[in-house]
Amino acid sequence: MTADLTTARLTLRMPDARDHASYSAFFADAEASRFYGGPLLPYQAWERLAADIGHFMLKGFGRFVIEKDGQVIGGCGILDVDGWPGHELTWWLLPAARGQGIAQEASRAVLAWAGTELGWPRVETHFRDENTAARRLTESLGGTKQRRETFPDGIDRDIYAMPTTEKVSA
Amino acid sequence: MIAAQHNMRGTPLPDAPVLKTARLLLRPPQLSDFDAFAGFYASPRSAMIGGPLDRKDAYSGFSSTAGQWFLKGYGFWEVIDRESGVNIGRAGIYHPDFWPEPELGWIIYGDSHEGRGIAMEAATAARDGAARHFGITAPISSIEATNSRSIALAERMGARRDGEWETPYGPMLRFRHPQVSA
Repeated sequence: MTADLTTARLTLRMPDARDHASYSAFFADAEASRFYGGPLLPYQAWERLAADIGHFMLKGFGRFVIEKDGQVIGGCGILDVDGWPGHELTWWLLPAARGQGIAQEASRAVLAWAGTELGWPRVETHFRDENTAARRLTESLGGTKQRRETFPDGIDRDIYAMPTTEKVSA
Repeated sequence: MIAAQHNMRGTPLPDAPVLKTARLLLRPPQLSDFDAFAGFYASPRSAMIGGPLDRKDAYSGFSSTAGQWFLKGYGFWEVIDRESGVNIGRAGIYHPDFWPEPELGWIIYGDSHEGRGIAMEAATAARDGAARHFGITAPISSIEATNSRSIALAERMGARRDGEWETPYGPMLRFRHPQVSA
């Protein structure tokens, strides 16, 4: 099966039934989940978890959960949702796990995995203009703006691409 | 559940049985099944089972029900017409975490399959398969009160009205299928 990814502080693994509580906690937090379609009720969080697992099954890649010291603190991976323009590097973090460089550390592991395991030279992502944290993180990963598109929800978003093979300094 | 099979990228596939009837093959979902599902959910036929949905929301629903195979160990089979190889619907067990018990569900995507007993054949195969492989022997079916075609099929399968309940998606009639031996 898809092997776990490990970094200095983190383990990234496929989500499973143990992760319902983490998904529910994150998506119940309206502020934390506002760029992720939240807030969600617990049953909707379960559907999101099931969809993340199903994405791995259907496409061979997806969004891992991030473990630190044995606790799930967020997720990071690549989603390619049909009906949405292109794939995206995506991450979510519980509020207590923010501000420690975890999204960057996890993203680097995912980018390296995309290069070596998926054979992708680059990975794209996109975000709303007001999501300045996502823009900063993307740029710290070597991301450069490729184009701007109007998404099916009517919102214009910049689309960035990040290299998977080059070493990027922080 | 522990998956026994893997796809080309090494990610697990559900350890799901394949079922066969005279005309149909029932197998677990794969990405190539999504277009048929999305096409159905783009049509007004889907109005009584949660639709219509745009392609993005349809993908969420499709991947979520695919993921249920891993979370629960059972799920929806895709229904394939053996003669043509075409995906004509799905049938199986719907049981997200927030659902009170396993539910037998079925969808036949197109009008052209009406009147041939295909839905009955698929739903019965799924009910038998769920009993044999998963020990689910008397599932419910939740059906919208206006969905007369599905109500008629549930009754033809021997299911009995068992009240109503308020699902997260709105009020539904509940039917109880007869005990099927495992």
